[in-house]
Amino acid sequence: MRHLRIVLLLALAVGAAGSRAAEDLTPSEELSALLAALGADGEPLIGSREREYFDALPARARGLFRKAVRHELLTEASHLQEILALRLHPAKVELLMRDNCVVCHTDPSAQDPETLFSADPEASGSPLHLNLKKFATDVHFRRGLSCAGCHGGDPSDEDMADEIYERWPEAPERHEDRTWIPAFCASCHADSTFMRRFNPALPTDQYSKYKESRHGQRLFGEGDSKAAQCVSCHGVHGILGPKSPRSSVYPQAVPYTCGQCHADDEYMAGYLGSDGEPLPTDQLEEFETSVHGRALLDRGDLGAPACNDCHGNHAAMPPEISSIAQVCRACHAGNGELFDGAKHKQAFERHGWPECETCHGNHAIDEADDSMLSEPSDPLCYECHREYAGDNPDCIETAKYFHASITSLATETESLDELIHPLASMGLDVDALTATVGELRDILSQSRSQIHAFDRGEFAALEAQGWKTIGAARATVSKIEGEYRFRRAGLFVAVGIMILLAALIYLKIRKIESDT
Amino acid sequence: MSDASENTGLVKWIDERYHISPLLEFFRHKEVPLGAHPVLWYYLGGTTLFFFTVQILSGLLLLVHYQPGEATSYESIRYLTTKVPFGWLVRSVHCWSGHLMIISLVTHMFSTMLLTAYRPPRELTWVTGFALFGLALGFGFSGYLLPWNELAFFATAVGTDSVKSVPLLGDWLLNVLRGGPDVTINTLYRFFALHVCVLPIAAFGIIGVHLLFVQRQGMALPVGESEAPRGMKFFPNFALRDLLMWLICLIALLVLAQLFPYGAGIPGFEWELGQKADPLAPAFPGIKPEWYFLWVYQLLKEFPPHLLGLEGPQACLMVVTVLLAIWALVPWLDRAARAERSSPGFSDLGVGAILFIVFLTLKAWDIGGGGGADGQLPDPAAVARACAWILVPLGLAITLVRVMVFHHRWFILSGAALLHAALHGIGGLPYLVAGALTAPLPVVAIGFLAIRARRSAPSAGGRP
Repeated sequence: MRHLRIVLLLALAVGAAGSRAAEDLTPSEELSALLAALGADGEPLIGSREREYFDALPARARGLFRKAVRHELLTEASHLQEILALRLHPAKVELLMRDNCVVCHTDPSAQDPETLFSADPEASGSPLHLNLKKFATDVHFRRGLSCAGCHGGDPSDEDMADEIYERWPEAPERHEDRTWIPAFCASCHADSTFMRRFNPALPTDQYSKYKESRHGQRLFGEGDSKAAQCVSCHGVHGILGPKSPRSSVYPQAVPYTCGQCHADDEYMAGYLGSDGEPLPTDQLEEFETSVHGRALLDRGDLGAPACNDCHGNHAAMPPEISSIAQVCRACHAGNGELFDGAKHKQAFERHGWPECETCHGNHAIDEADDSMLSEPSDPLCYECHREYAGDNPDCIETAKYFHASITSLATETESLDELIHPLASMGLDVDALTATVGELRDILSQSRSQIHAFDRGEFAALEAQGWKTIGAARATVSKIEGEYRFRRAGLFVAVGIMILLAALIYLKIRKIESDT
Repeated sequence: MSDASENTGLVKWIDERYHISPLLEFFRHKEVPLGAHPVLWYYLGGTTLFFFTVQILSGLLLLVHYQPGEATSYESIRYLTTKVPFGWLVRSVHCWSGHLMIISLVTHMFSTMLLTAYRPPRELTWVTGFALFGLALGFGFSGYLLPWNELAFFATAVGTDSVKSVPLLGDWLLNVLRGGPDVTINTLYRFFALHVCVLPIAAFGIIGVHLLFVQRQGMALPVGESEAPRGMKFFPNFALRDLLMWLICLIALLVLAQLFPYGAGIPGFEWELGQKADPLAPAFPGIKPEWYFLWVYQLLKEFPPHLLGLEGPQACLMVVTVLLAIWALVPWLDRAARAERSSPGFSDLGVGAILFIVFLTLKAWDIGGGGGADGQLPDPAAVARACAWILVPLGLAITLVRVMVFHHRWFILSGAALLHAALHGIGGLPYLVAGALTAPLPVVAIGFLAIRARRSAPSAGGRP
């Protein structure tokens, strides 16, 4: 029995080895001919880089090319060159070559430009969305969901099934009426059981949110196909996740993706805001110059907000007065909390003013500056108070006090900071001074925040702490200067002694030489 | 001075045991020739030795606090300069003294060259001096990395990279030098061992031999003279003058170390600690080595990536090697001086070398190129023009002094150096093209002179 088992195992092993040997690893004759084909100029159509790439592919991938040749799906060297020139990862090239839809639709000899996927659609005259390079990076394609996933049919078929023609509305119709798109994407993206197979972390509530959004309301409620839907922001073939820097929904790309419509005067003409005024189209321009825009776009700080961080993405809505303060608080929580306890809160609510935006603005928001508290440079507080708060002298005095004490703390901090470099370049230890100036900067930040409580109490405590720290810093500076004076004096004494010694040696030399 | 036989006390006690009287006798009679050359040149060896001694002493003090290591090198130097009493002074003195030592050494070397003091029987003194010059550069290069700060890290990465250009052994040498393919803390351990152990032992040995040669042979006389017009007793007269000179050096050193604790503020002549080295940070533009390496650095920049089938740096380092080899072998190459005849060609070689090095160094400092602010790079053509306009008048002034004061008549090499600078800087030709156009001129001129000299062989040479 035992022997029989061994014999069986051996037979299986030999069989396996035999079947492997039977798998032809060399290209078939037809494929070899394609690989070696010469162009009209006598040069090989398959470049040496592409040939090397092909030879380095795993046997299974090469087998797929052979199969495509055998089934006459791959008949032209230019077609082969187009696929090889992509130099895809072997796993991806297998995905691509297993999909007869892709193999056929990349064949220039079999397709009209309107249906041809090409690495360079501009050169081949294909529509821009039939970009083979982008398609190969598509997040769906990477997970094995290729053409058939949306268009229907079976990728192993060699002919197109009727379903493909039936599943989609005809081109003019589907281009004019976009209302079918969100439900189409949602057929997968709203199905949590289905989505879990690909990305369990991805939310599945986009469709329900979208329906509630201003875009969704316009598309579904008013049949406005100009309103943005899935494809407007995510694209079609070549969709990338928001973490990919090349994606249209990557944080740094979001302002420009939204701006495609919202910064286009012509496109936005006729759209009115809730106030009945035409929607502005200068948001992108304003955002680019704002403190948030500069952080996100210039400094590459992905923590800075893009459009969607305030307006939402799938549920994009203009933040109304009721919610704008909460939008800002998502990041600026401390200032929000101080404002919540301030007298201003009730006044703002009473007048229906948006909390943060009233003083700081929205898309063009700039860095908050101490001058916002000063009447001559920014009369905002003063004008508002005169108009609505009966010109209360206490309030005016408090604002003036805030401005005066913050400015003098800031001036003092700067003058101490300016001392650090010159003292350090004299070789002096400035570590303690640097740390104290750092503490001062913290106190300044806290006092600037404290303004949002519009109350002298806490602010005065911070101010006192600031002046105490300035006193400590000044003491450190005089200690450092004392050390420098000590060094100077030491040098004078040492050099004096040495000059004396030198003089004595000189006299000794004179004496010896006059003696001889 | 008492006679040897009159030794008393301690000297007598030592003499009875170790027989030092012949040595004392030698020093009593040792004289320094006067009137042959300006005496100033005689002090330069001594001042170099003085700065070297300061290096050893201040280096020992640094060693008390310095802890080599990834997490300690930078921190210990920072601690030393900020918290340890007088630690700032020790580091500042060590850095200043290192630079002053190299200035003194280079001046000493060029004075020896220009006075043809290298000729027989002092060939080996020249060679040992040349070896000490190499060691000094080694000290500078290895010591630069030890604070493990950003600038040192990248400068060492760039500096060691050039070793790759050595044919066949390049990659292996780079690995040996760096202790791996990249500059890491292993490189620092190696450089530390070199700086505080290997190089000092080598330097002690060679300085000993160099001094022994100088003491045995005395100072060189001008060509063709067998006796100096006058002499000065080495001990105590000259020794006291040496002592006075050292004291002046010490005063200068202390004043500089106190007033400019981080160096002269010129690229390659400053040592502010800055940021700690971060091997993952990108290298920043404008990394420059110490000033004494700047001419090689600039020459490397003048070479294209490929030249005559060689890689640019390889070709450049070959040129530098040939130039240094010529310099080391000057005592044998200068056949006129060997025969106690004047060799104006070699004096001119010294001046030419100075002009060549000064021009490259000025260029490396980007003089007259603007830039600097806003990360803007200086304009190379403007730099070359400004440097040429400094060098050409300087060279002409030197030539005028040589004609008027020293009655020199041989300016082929220094003239070629000036023509090269003018063609490049003022004429706007690339450095190497200007060099290739200039190089044949001295070859033809020297060949012509040699043929003429051979025709009138008996009357050739002699001091004008």
